[in-house]
Amino acid sequence: MSKLIASSAIRGAHSLYNKAEAAYNAALAAKGADQPVSFPDTAYYLPVAYALLAIKVKTLGDIQPVLAKAKSMLPDIPAEDAWLPYLGNTLDSGIAALLSEEIIEAMKYVMGPNPVEGIWLGATDDVIVRTQGIKLVDGSMPGFAAVVGAAPTTEEAVKLATELRERNILLFMAGETDGKTMADQLNEAGVEMGWDVYLVPFGRDISAAVYALGVAARAAMTFGGITPGGMKEAREILMYNKNRVFAFVIALGDVDDEKYATAAGAINFGFPVIANTDIPQILPTGITTYEHVVSNVPLDKIVDTAVEVRGIKIKITKIPIPVSFGSAFEGERIRKEAMFVEFGGQKSPAFEYLRMRDMDDIDNGKIEVIGPEIDQMEEGKAYPLGILIEVAGRKMQSDFEPVLERQLHHLVNGAEGIWHMGQRDMNWMRISKSAHEKGFKIEHFGEILKAKLMDDFPAIVDKIQIKLYTDADKMKEVLEEARAAFIARDERVAGLIDESVDTFYSCTLCQSFAPNHVCVISPERLGLCGAYNWLDAKAAHEINPTGANQPIIKGETIDERRGQWVGVNELVRAKSNNSVQQVNAYSIMEDPETSCGCFECVVAILPIANGVMVVNREHTGETPVGMKFSSLAGSVGGGAQTPGFLGVGRQYITSGKFIAAEGGFKRIVWMPKELKEALAGQLKKRSEALGLPDFVDMIADETIGTTEEEVMEYMAKVGHPALEMDSLLG
Amino acid sequence: MALTGIDIFKQLPKTNCGDCGVPTCLAFAMKIAAGQAELAGCPHLSEDAASALSEASAPPIRAVTIGVGDDAVKVGGELVLYRHEKTFFNPCVFAAVIDDGMDAATVDGLLKQTNESRFVRVEQDLKAGLVGVKSLSGDTAKFVALIEKVKAATTQPMVLMCGDPAEMEAGLKAAGETAPLIYAATAANYEAMAALALAHKAPLAVCGTGDLDALVDLVKKIMAAGVKDIVLDPGTRNPKDTLERLVYIRRAALNKKVKELGFPIIVFPNEETDDKMMEAVYAGLYVGKYGSVIMLSDLDAARALPLYVLRQNIYTDPQRPMQVKPGIYPIGNPTADSPVLITSNFSLTYFIVSGEVEASRVPAWLCVMDTEGLSVMTSWAAGKFVPEKIVPFIKGVGIEEQVKHRKLVIPGYLATMSGELEDELEGWNVEVGPREAADIPPFLKTWAS
Amino acid sequence: MEVKETYNGKIREATIGLGDTAVTVGGETSLPLYMFEGAAPNKPVIALEVYDTKPEDWPEAAIAPYADVLDDPVKWALKCQDEYKADMICLNLASTNPSTGDRNGADIAPIVKAVADAIKIPLIVYGTANADKDAEVMPKAAEACQGKRALIGPVEEENYKTVAAAALGFDHLAAPHSPIDVNIAKQLNILITQLGLAPERVIIDPTTGALGYGLEYCYSVMERLRLAAMTQNDSMTQMPMINQIGREVWKAKEVKTSEADEPAWGDAETRGVLWEALTATALIMAGSNILVMRHPKAVELTRQFVAALTGATN
Ligand code: SF4
Ligand code: SF4
Repeated sequence: MSKLIASSAIRGAHSLYNKAEAAYNAALAAKGADQPVSFPDTAYYLPVAYALLAIKVKTLGDIQPVLAKAKSMLPDIPAEDAWLPYLGNTLDSGIAALLSEEIIEAMKYVMGPNPVEGIWLGATDDVIVRTQGIKLVDGSMPGFAAVVGAAPTTEEAVKLATELRERNILLFMAGETDGKTMADQLNEAGVEMGWDVYLVPFGRDISAAVYALGVAARAAMTFGGITPGGMKEAREILMYNKNRVFAFVIALGDVDDEKYATAAGAINFGFPVIANTDIPQILPTGITTYEHVVSNVPLDKIVDTAVEVRGIKIKITKIPIPVSFGSAFEGERIRKEAMFVEFGGQKSPAFEYLRMRDMDDIDNGKIEVIGPEIDQMEEGKAYPLGILIEVAGRKMQSDFEPVLERQLHHLVNGAEGIWHMGQRDMNWMRISKSAHEKGFKIEHFGEILKAKLMDDFPAIVDKIQIKLYTDADKMKEVLEEARAAFIARDERVAGLIDESVDTFYSCTLCQSFAPNHVCVISPERLGLCGAYNWLDAKAAHEINPTGANQPIIKGETIDERRGQWVGVNELVRAKSNNSVQQVNAYSIMEDPETSCGCFECVVAILPIANGVMVVNREHTGETPVGMKFSSLAGSVGGGAQTPGFLGVGRQYITSGKFIAAEGGFKRIVWMPKELKEALAGQLKKRSEALGLPDFVDMIADETIGTTEEEVMEYMAKVGHPALEMDSLLG
Repeated sequence: MALTGIDIFKQLPKTNCGDCGVPTCLAFAMKIAAGQAELAGCPHLSEDAASALSEASAPPIRAVTIGVGDDAVKVGGELVLYRHEKTFFNPCVFAAVIDDGMDAATVDGLLKQTNESRFVRVEQDLKAGLVGVKSLSGDTAKFVALIEKVKAATTQPMVLMCGDPAEMEAGLKAAGETAPLIYAATAANYEAMAALALAHKAPLAVCGTGDLDALVDLVKKIMAAGVKDIVLDPGTRNPKDTLERLVYIRRAALNKKVKELGFPIIVFPNEETDDKMMEAVYAGLYVGKYGSVIMLSDLDAARALPLYVLRQNIYTDPQRPMQVKPGIYPIGNPTADSPVLITSNFSLTYFIVSGEVEASRVPAWLCVMDTEGLSVMTSWAAGKFVPEKIVPFIKGVGIEEQVKHRKLVIPGYLATMSGELEDELEGWNVEVGPREAADIPPFLKTWAS
Repeated sequence: MEVKETYNGKIREATIGLGDTAVTVGGETSLPLYMFEGAAPNKPVIALEVYDTKPEDWPEAAIAPYADVLDDPVKWALKCQDEYKADMICLNLASTNPSTGDRNGADIAPIVKAVADAIKIPLIVYGTANADKDAEVMPKAAEACQGKRALIGPVEEENYKTVAAAALGFDHLAAPHSPIDVNIAKQLNILITQLGLAPERVIIDPTTGALGYGLEYCYSVMERLRLAAMTQNDSMTQMPMINQIGREVWKAKEVKTSEADEPAWGDAETRGVLWEALTATALIMAGSNILVMRHPKAVELTRQFVAALTGATN
């Protein structure tokens, strides 16, 4: 905590208080205590005093207690040689300063000169607070900035205003630097101002800055539903602003004592201060969400810094690409004849890789094409393309990298005339002739990814930069890094076992048609539709905390072999509307998990053969259990527990926890050939891990038989291990 | 019915002989568990197993059949309090009550309604189900004459309504062996009525006084007399009291396994108001809340149709949606240049899409594909609304003979398959339509072939 | 007979409008209409529909009661209030639909204000469920009726921040609209209350299916919400519910078709009125608290039904 700031703020507060007291006394002498006092068209009296002190100022007389409170909060001016006035003192002086400023402005309405004059708008009425507040709440206006002072030059003032407007950030202006205000500068440059254009000049004096806090206080009372009452409510109002009103103060030019005091007031609302001059910084986070005061920021970086410091999310409404974008284009194909150029697909080296970086390592929004652009490419040819996406975010985790990376397919496909398939370093993309004619360039891949990743994942992506490599040599190094990362990721997933985590995730997306169904997603058991593994569910929860994926704290273990935990039971009970009392995550016979209807495969027991069969959705033929997939689905689905039957995702088949309670993988006696082939690699690996290298060949398929008897004959022939296992029926 | 397929399987012979019509004992067990097969289907079941299973698998609410032959109706057999828990199984039936005090024209009118009140909707035949025949005069001859008249005029099973066992006996004789519902046994006449029910193999309604404990006692005696097929009348005649009794009866049967209340229920909205519109509204209450036989004063089409549709809605299996017949549906006289749209045969999808196409006033061809009654997205996810299935459908359904152009509009939600479909559906261009049905009219208005 | 249930949940009470004519809904402590097991301090209420432009495509039976007022929303609303004794008015901003009228917020604000000022009973204002368009229109509509404590809807998942914020900012109630889905209904309630709207200012719109057109889906979703509210004390399901019945019913084929075209279907008015009344009463059984309806005769039947089942007197 800087002593300099503290001392200045305290001195400024004293000075503002004295002015307020003088103005008040003059008004009182002239008009008497019964003289009505109000800002125009507001039901919130003097809003800052009302919000923080719960005092309803209606007459001059009512101001007395406000003044008294301001005075009581004024710390002594620290002696030159005294060390450390603490943060609390500074903050108190900030509140005293705001209360004083509000009185100063209110006295202008009583005694004149009217604050509404020329370009100046004075106090804000309630309707404007409400209409602007809606934009703040829905995020279409990401926040507001209060500028105090003037920019070094008119051009810089205009530039700053434009930058803020481009981001839909409302700009409040008050206070001067060397006799000039930013509003004057804009006015000179002929810039139109007003609420409609997001440029709001409050007043020439620094005290007019209090109107911005009046807006903030009323936003909290209106949208936070907080009625002032005392300290508790005052705190709630400040907290509401800290958490929900993304505002900040830009201090331009010299920062004098009164400005310091005002800034200290704003810090109470959680609004950080960004200055273009060299004033002491207050960096540790605490009152504001991030830093309190950041100084010496060049004017052209001020908006970016402010946006970053305050954690403001800017909505990108239109992606700046020359072709249409939308889900309607997701399914289009680009035939060879319609193609302009292509990338990857074994024809040229290509990859897509998303990784996490530190906040500071990212030049937010930067898109770089490393190598030739499309205008140097020839029709009909294949070129290298490496897409490196780097993101940072306060809530980003490396586990979310693959989750975000997988979005690329659907995002890139959304652009008209662009086609994508595959993933990682096995991807394949085409740009159509018509997209090329419309002006689609390599850099536009970056624009799409930047806009959509920021927009769709605001909870985890704060910053993003994208490099697009079209030069095979230059991409080599990154490709190597990417490959190493892919291997590391796979290892991480393979290494994740249920015992290594204490949190599983639920998924209730399917309850729309299976009202009591809950998927319990653990590292070794993915959702039965196959679309959500544990990492996906974890990321989905982070992205949408109220959504269909909720964390389940496993809690005490009830049955390790069958996979039953106190926490899981509790959650399943609650989410299944009490219809499922307990589940065994690893059992098909006793309290198995429910099945909804969109499972990739059904596992069914073959009781006489003493094994299980697995049939995938695509297989339409007969199966040894005597039911085709469709009738199996009918009797298993709907969100009920059906002992002997289980809907599963494909990847679960080779999981170490696959029906572990009944002996696991070795129970499998039949599966369709197509499924066997699709999972060949994994099946083999799993067999080997179990010390049964030939096991895959012991699993019968439809070419061997579709009756339980034929399966049993085959089992006997090959010596299937299930023959030796405990009876399934117990 | 708490028995799982595995529980049932354990009692079966485990030979997979296939004589039950399905290939394995387990598949058969699953069918029984789902209520889709009867134990008797397995000829090799041991007697012990059969009795153990039938005891355990007996439904908490008995299914009762009224009438004989093709027009017999089955009511009751319900397993849940709320339809989303599984489904309401056996749709309730309605009956217009004809009494022996009516003039011939009124009787003829009601008989005509009974026979003609039929509608086909979503491939289902909607009709009342029963006809009520009531003795008002106490004159046995009149009652018998009326029964004979009704019997001659309609094949719908009857509810014979008369409190006097002697008169009822005459009525039953007149009705022949048609297993009408006998209405009703009371504390005063139950012995005689029970004897009639047994003698004529007819189901018996038991009329209470509003007191459910008394009703339980009465039913117990009637069951002891050997009557199995019972229908309950709680005895109340105002909707507020009736609703209470109906809820209690259903709960007692399902949750408390009170055997005496495990039967379908007959209700009388026609006796709860004189206003026919209110009568229909109360009938609606009982369609949703546990009425199985609903007595009405008539079957005027404008009132019957909405009630039948309500029953159709409430008794739809939530997990097995209603389907419309696949095929081409021309809307508003389309020509060879009119747009061609494709959608699923989930009835709700069909209704909404066809309604919006109609509202657009743009004549169009709506091709409805067999998606087993699943909605567009669900059937796509289940692999039933995918290019491999769409191609043979479009090629085979005959739309190519109807239109000159070759543009197919697919639901907006299926945009992802547009390219694949276009590749496989030779000669056709695939256009992505709107995602929401409500946006169909503006889409069609700007559509050009 | 010991089969009485006791419930641990309760539906919140919500009040729409201010002063003497304010209407409170909710407060039930049992499943809908189960008066034998709990209290229902506020009976279901009926709002009559008013449209901001003269409707097209209405069948004759629906036009007749309003023939003289269809092109004047204020007169229309007053007729509903004074002659048909509506409990509330639901003003539908149909003309803002992008594919038909596409009027914007500024265009309809005067209509909203005029209707709000003219009537004494509480107001519901509904957009067209086009998320983007409603995000533009509904804040203007909410502003135009500020000070009335109206019910603003529908709030969609895609625009909840804007539309619910408008309700919040102008001190109204909001109707989150979920696509026949219990979990989305709950999630939307969580999101809206997190935004700052008190749960007492939320009325669930579960999406209404008319008789024959998805009624059963709506019925079961509402029944599930009520069961969760009552038996699991699930706070985010314990809001009253609203159903847009008139709008859905009167576009059904069986309601629009005249007797001349389908003689076997009987009198068109009777059929339409009963179609609407049966939809309304079925949804009351499933838990509806506010029924937005069209035909005065259907309203009458619904009222009698409520009176008979709740023992309330009209
Ligand atoms: S099947 Fe998939 S979508 Fe459905 S609940 Fe399970 S994980 Fe979620
Ligand atoms: S008839 Fe009986 S023994 Fe034969 S397969 Fe069917 S259930 Fe098994």
